Amino acid sequence: MSREVPGADCTVDELMVVTLAREFTDDTRAFNGAASFIPVCAYRLARKTHAPGLVWAASSIAVDADPPAIPESTLSDALWDGATMLSNSPFDFWAYAQGARYNTFAFRGAQIDRFGNVNNTVIGSYAKPKVRLPGGGGMADLGGMIPNVYLWTTTHNPRTLVEKVDFRSGLGWGDGGDHRRRLGFSGGPQLCVTDLCVMDFHADTKAMRLRSVHPGVTISDIQSATGFEVAMPRGTVGETDLPTPTELSILRDVVDPTGSRLREFP
Amino acid sequence: MNSAPMGFVRELVRSDVRDLTVVSIVGSMAVDWLVASGKVSKVVTGLVSFEGLGLAPNFRRAAEAGDIEVEEYSEHLLICRLQAAAHGLPFVPTRAGIGTDVLDLHPDTTRLETDQVTGELYVACTPLPIDVAVVHAHVADADGNTRVDPKLIWMDSDLVRAAGATVVTVEAVAPRSSFTDAPERTTYPRFMIDAVVPAPWGAYPTSNYPSYTHHEDFIREYLGASRDRDRFARFWDDRISAPEDQAGFLEANGGAATILSIMRRAT
Repeated sequence: MSREVPGADCTVDELMVVTLAREFTDDTRAFNGAASFIPVCAYRLARKTHAPGLVWAASSIAVDADPPAIPESTLSDALWDGATMLSNSPFDFWAYAQGARYNTFAFRGAQIDRFGNVNNTVIGSYAKPKVRLPGGGGMADLGGMIPNVYLWTTTHNPRTLVEKVDFRSGLGWGDGGDHRRRLGFSGGPQLCVTDLCVMDFHADTKAMRLRSVHPGVTISDIQSATGFEVAMPRGTVGETDLPTPTELSILRDVVDPTGSRLREFP
Repeated sequence: MNSAPMGFVRELVRSDVRDLTVVSIVGSMAVDWLVASGKVSKVVTGLVSFEGLGLAPNFRRAAEAGDIEVEEYSEHLLICRLQAAAHGLPFVPTRAGIGTDVLDLHPDTTRLETDQVTGELYVACTPLPIDVAVVHAHVADADGNTRVDPKLIWMDSDLVRAAGATVVTVEAVAPRSSFTDAPERTTYPRFMIDAVVPAPWGAYPTSNYPSYTHHEDFIREYLGASRDRDRFARFWDDRISAPEDQAGFLEANGGAATILSIMRRAT
């Protein structure tokens, strides 16, 4: 369940969408994978507010789609209405991705570690898994190829945010420091937006660092809900900026009138 | 969940084949049915799930019990392996998978190497030959010329090109003139196709864009039934394996009412 944000006329799902949307610009060229309701809402909201030139390929296929609502699957063809092009996966998509024509991707996983590496393969050992998850899919490809990676989770707890992932399905900042650059990749994870806070990554160590807490959440809440020690910025940590009434009405009435984003909350 | 050859898969789970190795770049219902039927010993894949609707229950259970081997790649590592097979090359390079644990699962088929000239890292993906590819399409003629309408979107062509033989199941069989009238729209030429199987609504309960979408109620009921062994056994018999033909299968899942609910307008 999502929850009300104290002192604001919005809920946490809306705060997460708006926070992500404000990161995107007219230079953002994004696409989405499975079960990606929050980033899909964010791309669409950004395009309908401050970034009309933003490119979003629905399901990684339908370029500039503008559906009347977001269906129950973010890989569904019901998301493709209004597209200017249905691109083909092997011929178009992978060239645009590896060639960095697409520059922005968001993913979540069962586990995220302090350097923004993500696991969606197994809990436990690979050979004898305690839980067999779906698999990384395109994470192992796109985590490296795409320079601006955004992570999100609606379950900020020590089981999701772990010191070290059981299996690295998707590359974030690797082992931290300049590891990712040594592997030949530019950029890296920019933000991790959760139901409790917003975290960025320290410029040198690449460890996850608190940027802001959502209203009603304390720094001590974050430390106890996180399976590693969250780095602190210099100075004070403020509250996450609230959505404007305009952003909220566009999100609720135009971008996601059926509330698909709530599917992300267990 | 999209354009899977489910009619063919349904006959496969009703047959007496066994010990299949299934290659699916992005798997869903088809893989889960094949695993549920006990006919699979190994799954080679990037991901198997029901997307936002849930995990693939039989795939998950069999993998956790050790009943199947899962050889996980990423999507692009698999595509590169298929392209190496299609082109007859020793490997196809990519940056996919670098820095992840996926490469360590199969260091012989996804080798991390350094370019001798530039010093850049790349992954050499060795050929993954497929014995038989099975894909679903809209139209074929009797010779095997095949069209995906309005164009191919998914990754099927990589499987077809890497396969020793390809079976295409189609919504409709058309005369050769359907292809000579619009040759620019042909997806696979006849020499790539070994068998054409007429299979109207043959992707049901997955989608076949733009004609029909996936049947969400079926997927939800399938996932619901899978929580209980007896309930799933009944669902499996009544809704999947017992019907003798495609008409019976559609009838068991709502018949005309279901068909009307999943039909899409042409775009």
